[in-house]
Amino acid sequence: MNWEIVLLFVAPVICSLPIAFYWVKEPGSDRARKLPMLSVFGLFISFVIAIHILLMYPNGTYTIPWLPEYNINFVFIFDYLSKYMGALTAFIAFMIGLYGLEYMKHDYRLGWYWFFFNMFTASMLLVVYSDNLLMLLIGWEGLGLASWGLIGHWFRDDDHLSYVGIVGRKVGPLKMYWPPSYGGWRAISTIRVGDMPMFFAVAAIYALTGNLNISQIHWGALFTKIGLAGTVFLMLCLLMGPFTKSAQLPFSEWLMTAMTGPTTVSALLHSATMVAAGTYLFIRLSWYIHPWTLHAVPGVGVLYYIVLLLGLFSALYGASVAIGCLERKVLLAASTMSSLGLMFGCAAASYWYGKLAVLIAFWYLMTHAFAKATLFLVAGHLIHATHDRFCCGDLNLARKMKTAFIATIIATIALGGLPPLTAYWVKAGMDTVMHHIVEMVGSLPLDLLLITSLLYSAFLAKFLSLNFWKGDKYRLHLHGEKLMPLAYACVVSMVFLLLYRILTGTDPLVETHLLEYGLDKDSLIVGLGVTGTYLFALVVPRIRALSPIGTFLGDRMYLPALNDFIVPSIGWAISKLIEYTHRAIDWFCHFGLPDFMLGISRRIRAIQVGYMRVYMKIALAFVMAAIVVSMLGWL
Amino acid sequence: MMLLYVLLLPLVVTFLTPLMRPKLATAVSAVAFLIPFAYTVYGLASGLVVKIPVVDIVRPIGKFYILGDQVSFSFALAICLVSAMVALYSLPYMAHRFEEMGKELESEYRKYIFFYNLYATSMLWLVFSGNFIMLYIFLEISLLASFLLIYMYGYGDRRKVATLYFVWTHIAGMLALIGFLMTAAANGSLAFDAIAKIGFVAWLLIFLGMIIKLPGLGPHVWLPWAHAEAPTPVSALLSPLTVGLGAYVILRAYLISPWFIKAYTMPIFVYGVISSIYAGFMVFRQNDYKRLLAFSTISQMGYCLIAFCLGTYGIMAVIIQYISHAFGKAILFMTAGGIIANYHGLRDITKMGGMHEYIPTISNAALLGFMNLGGILTVGMFGEFFILKGVVDTFGLDISAILAVVFVFIISGLYSFYTYKRIYCGKPAGYEKVKVNRLLDTPLFIIGIVSILLIFPPLAAILLNAVKAVIAKVAIATIGGVAP
Repeated sequence: MNWEIVLLFVAPVICSLPIAFYWVKEPGSDRARKLPMLSVFGLFISFVIAIHILLMYPNGTYTIPWLPEYNINFVFIFDYLSKYMGALTAFIAFMIGLYGLEYMKHDYRLGWYWFFFNMFTASMLLVVYSDNLLMLLIGWEGLGLASWGLIGHWFRDDDHLSYVGIVGRKVGPLKMYWPPSYGGWRAISTIRVGDMPMFFAVAAIYALTGNLNISQIHWGALFTKIGLAGTVFLMLCLLMGPFTKSAQLPFSEWLMTAMTGPTTVSALLHSATMVAAGTYLFIRLSWYIHPWTLHAVPGVGVLYYIVLLLGLFSALYGASVAIGCLERKVLLAASTMSSLGLMFGCAAASYWYGKLAVLIAFWYLMTHAFAKATLFLVAGHLIHATHDRFCCGDLNLARKMKTAFIATIIATIALGGLPPLTAYWVKAGMDTVMHHIVEMVGSLPLDLLLITSLLYSAFLAKFLSLNFWKGDKYRLHLHGEKLMPLAYACVVSMVFLLLYRILTGTDPLVETHLLEYGLDKDSLIVGLGVTGTYLFALVVPRIRALSPIGTFLGDRMYLPALNDFIVPSIGWAISKLIEYTHRAIDWFCHFGLPDFMLGISRRIRAIQVGYMRVYMKIALAFVMAAIVVSMLGWL
Repeated sequence: MMLLYVLLLPLVVTFLTPLMRPKLATAVSAVAFLIPFAYTVYGLASGLVVKIPVVDIVRPIGKFYILGDQVSFSFALAICLVSAMVALYSLPYMAHRFEEMGKELESEYRKYIFFYNLYATSMLWLVFSGNFIMLYIFLEISLLASFLLIYMYGYGDRRKVATLYFVWTHIAGMLALIGFLMTAAANGSLAFDAIAKIGFVAWLLIFLGMIIKLPGLGPHVWLPWAHAEAPTPVSALLSPLTVGLGAYVILRAYLISPWFIKAYTMPIFVYGVISSIYAGFMVFRQNDYKRLLAFSTISQMGYCLIAFCLGTYGIMAVIIQYISHAFGKAILFMTAGGIIANYHGLRDITKMGGMHEYIPTISNAALLGFMNLGGILTVGMFGEFFILKGVVDTFGLDISAILAVVFVFIISGLYSFYTYKRIYCGKPAGYEKVKVNRLLDTPLFIIGIVSILLIFPPLAAILLNAVKAVIAKVAIATIGGVAP
């Protein structure tokens, strides 16, 4: 068991080292271009182990000593959440690895790419299986670093195909286009802002409880001890990490410009797994905090209410932005943000609804991961084939790229919540949860959820329509790809596996609940509404009359101003002020004071000329001064 | 006695290397520091504490002895590794520098390597000194050696900068010396184990002296000059190792008589936070790579000042922070030097951009360096963790203190990656791709890998258990310490 767990994390990293080093030595050589196979083999090892864990391991924790004197150890937890999430991560990583073999074939920096890709997988698995918060933070920092490295992968900024936004477009002081190096910077800077408060919260939990294992901490006792303000402050600090990583408002901008990275990266990191790590952590925390039992503890309710609203507003914002987007990957990124918001909202509803809400959020996470990864992989293939970042394509294209077309149809339907595919049942669960909590928190969450759902299916249909039916003109350069269609076909097929589990009720925890909710009358009405908007958007993907609104939404309601204008302006103003202070101190110490001393020394030396009359004058002056002083004293 | 031989090795080598040819001298110097490195790891792992008497001097000075405890070993760990790696790096770099200055390698390198080894050895001996006067002597030797290195091989107006450096650090040394002598007068001895209490004025003088050396906001102005204009291998010792020794001296005084820091916790904490944020903002505005790194040093040393105020976990954080910063900044100065050596003195960041294209290995090393500064996946992570825990221990859930520290950490991460982006990413600036000398990049990776290995077992447990032994000591000192 021991070696297998270690291998799970170490194998991908070790297997990516040969390419990382060899590429530095002989970049672009034929031999170096074969080494990525080895990296994918490393991912395969992780995949096999993750499946083994899913099927064979008993629930429980497993400890490897790390800092036993501090009561901090590598504690791996195997429970419902981590087993599924781990298998999902390893599976998608492996599939996208396969896809990447073909997609990144001619790239100029494969050593960097594969090293960070595999390091990301290892970090993500570490986050997933980790029960110890400090160990989780190692994985968490690894995620941030890998994300930065991969977003800025095309660091030369020389290929407009890797930009986000229309190159050269400006709105006021804002440049509405972002090169990869800038995308990487936006990602790491936003994530840093979230990670440090989170790091503090972990340290504070350690200081207050002496324990860092999520499943062992007595959360209720901790919250009672620090009171209402303490609980809200501490937990908001802790959740700053998930909020920034999962791109909730107002930290969403980095995710949009993260699309400057290779599409494989967008698919794996910025839709299926890494951004979901934030929601996953929140789900895992809620799973062990048991907020539904803590109604007597002040602060918990406030906290969950904040998360509920933040998540749902982010969901609405993301969906609205996606409606206005015409850029393939940015549209999907905005929709990812929206989905993550829904997961947060649903998991937060557990405070009023109970554990099932957490489970529904988790099921939505899984459905979303498979479907969204598929859509991204298709988008990547389309960009590859049409050399265009913006939506374009018609039925002719659909005919030539049949697998992509079919996969997109399945993924959009399965994710949009159209009956009877997977997300319908999960969304029905969400509807029920939000409907149930109307009595406690009002109807705002339910309204937000419903509007988001309608918009969601609309932009998915728009994506399908604009790329395979009614899109703009395009030029096609098919290169006879084999692995890429295979990869997304495999990924999309997983939504059927989830569907099978829902319909047969074989899942021990969700069992028949989702089926029951889905067959409810209200849910059916919502499902029909969603289907209606889907069909409408399919037929009318763009409404020219509304294009000003579309531009406003597509410009992400000018939220980029926060990252690109407001915060930097404040920062530069402060640093300018500080620089002037520094110059003043520097001038005083190294020029003013020495020059002053130099002047005095010159004066003193000037006296010593050797003429008697000078000394006489000075002596006289002293005598005069003495007389004046004594006169004053006498008076 | 083993420790004595291990410490004598670099000292003997210092006087032998001038007789050797450059390559051999470099190799011998590196080995002479790697052996003590291995020994420090052994010392940390086995919880070794040794006292070796050297000489007993008359009463007010007290006996000189070599003290090898967990604090010494922790600091020596960083000093040995960095010194060894920078020694390797010196050869190609100084060859370039001598060529630039029109000097002959063979003869000039003898001078250089002597002062280099003297400088590094004096710092190593400093952390094993068991007497404040002994400590002061090594402090001054390191100052003289580094002064001469800047004076002879520095950049820009090197003579002025060297003098400036000398004056400032000398003021620091003098203040500390007066503090030591006052302590001697009060206690009748300056051996660490014979001092009962350090009085107010003495503490204040030592503290002020070390604030200049550390440096804190205000007296920090010497540092950007000295660190930017020193020859890069010297910068790579000055910034990572020497300035942090200010923290070491304060730490030693704290372990003997902690009342001063405890009495003035709040002002020192605020001062540390302001220093760190101030310097952090300055980093954004620098266009000279080495000057930029110098400001980042001030910011990182602010961490140490903050950590001093945070009780026992803070003290552990000081040690970890010293190691982490030493590793990170050594790597980064060496990357700056790598660019200087390969591109004929290129230091201006505005003329860089997309440098990853030309020097990928150096760029990757710089990433490791910046990870160290940000405490990402490197040993600095524990430093930040302990500081944050210390904040909660000391101030409870006090929002302003917490936000201040969190902001300090955010700033370091931001300037690290902002600088990386400016230098190594973006449109390539149009240079020729060069073949980098292996000694200009391999040592950087060795330091980087060690800094990563230090967060995983078994090295993490070795280091952190050792600093936990320091906690026990602080706890005893707190009980034994006399309130003002």
